[in-house]
Amino acid sequence: MQEMGDAPPVPPVRVRKLVTYRDEIVTEAGVAPDRPARRASVAAVVENPWSGAAPLADLGEEQERVGPVLAGLLCDRLVHALGPAHGIEAFGKAAIVGTAGEIEHAGALIHTPYFGNLVREALQGESIICFADARAEAGEPLVVPLWHKTHAATRSHYQTIGARIPDAPRADEIVVIAAASTGPRPHPRIGDRRTDPVVTAETLEGSPS
Amino acid sequence: MNVRKIVTVVEEVRAEGGRAVSPPATVAVVAAVIPNPWAGQGFVEDLGPGIDANASDLGALLAPAVLEGLGAPAQAYGKAAIVGLDGEIEHGSALIHTLAFGDHFRKAANATTLLPAVEKRGAAGAVFDIPLKHVTDATVRSHHQTVEVRIPDAPHPGEIVIALAAAAQGRPQQRLAAFPTERDRSA
Repeated sequence: MQEMGDAPPVPPVRVRKLVTYRDEIVTEAGVAPDRPARRASVAAVVENPWSGAAPLADLGEEQERVGPVLAGLLCDRLVHALGPAHGIEAFGKAAIVGTAGEIEHAGALIHTPYFGNLVREALQGESIICFADARAEAGEPLVVPLWHKTHAATRSHYQTIGARIPDAPRADEIVVIAAASTGPRPHPRIGDRRTDPVVTAETLEGSPS
Repeated sequence: MNVRKIVTVVEEVRAEGGRAVSPPATVAVVAAVIPNPWAGQGFVEDLGPGIDANASDLGALLAPAVLEGLGAPAQAYGKAAIVGLDGEIEHGSALIHTLAFGDHFRKAANATTLLPAVEKRGAAGAVFDIPLKHVTDATVRSHHQTVEVRIPDAPHPGEIVIALAAAAQGRPQQRLAAFPTERDRSA
């Protein structure tokens, strides 16, 4: 029995499963990269905290309860897979909500300070974290975008990594993903904003399309 | 051997059937994506030279990596060869069904049994299941399990994915072995 005035107990955050996926490119187009990078995604399966909730229910309380736990678990495994945060150069995040949930539920677990700020802090970044989200059946592959953790417009670091859990999300679950890379794409050679020519519709007039 | 990439997958199951699994049940897979050694050569009668040039090196690369990924002694294990669309399944089998390949894993894992295997042909992104069995007694039913893997961009038509899988325990919530009559029948 709860005594008057006691705060109700905070239910634990139930993580059913964690899946780490890491790839290390040894060669690309047959050539070893100048800067070999490791990329990883870590995906956690949680019960949708708003499963069965009334439509348009407030999401705030559960964001605060669930987000920090997930940020901690996912960043811990990212660092385990990739090495210490100072060697991580790019990051991204994603969520897949099961078919009984709203896409807003997916966003609620990743687009708040209770998740994003903690991931940024753990990976020693400053940029906004780029993202993907989806509502899908279990086993749906998701491509997670990454960009540079302190200079988001660094074109060499625009890259993606896959994430997929064969048996999640169930209809009433959410898969939450954090992803990172220790370097750029294997052979980056598409320039950068500083090297780009000025391109507008006007400058292109008369050039072959 | 020109490896294109190495993929590591680690699964931790923390709850199953609505109950906690503690410690989490862990399974690791490490896969190497390599060019098919027989690509573009038509029908090669004698696969021996290609096996000699690759199988032992692959075993030596993957065995310590999958145990490191697991982070615990392996109690169950398995292997896989997924051949890109231009190759023969025989090419994948050639690389994994040799002592030169498997003995690296057996030795590193203190294992004695045959490695259960999947070998198939598929496009990049094909899903494959690696069967695992106990490392010293393939009849230990609690350890029969499967891990599912997918590499989004491999194998290319001229590539082969070679993988090893290791589990630190049997199935989460395994509870079949307690039935003595069943155990007798399965012998």
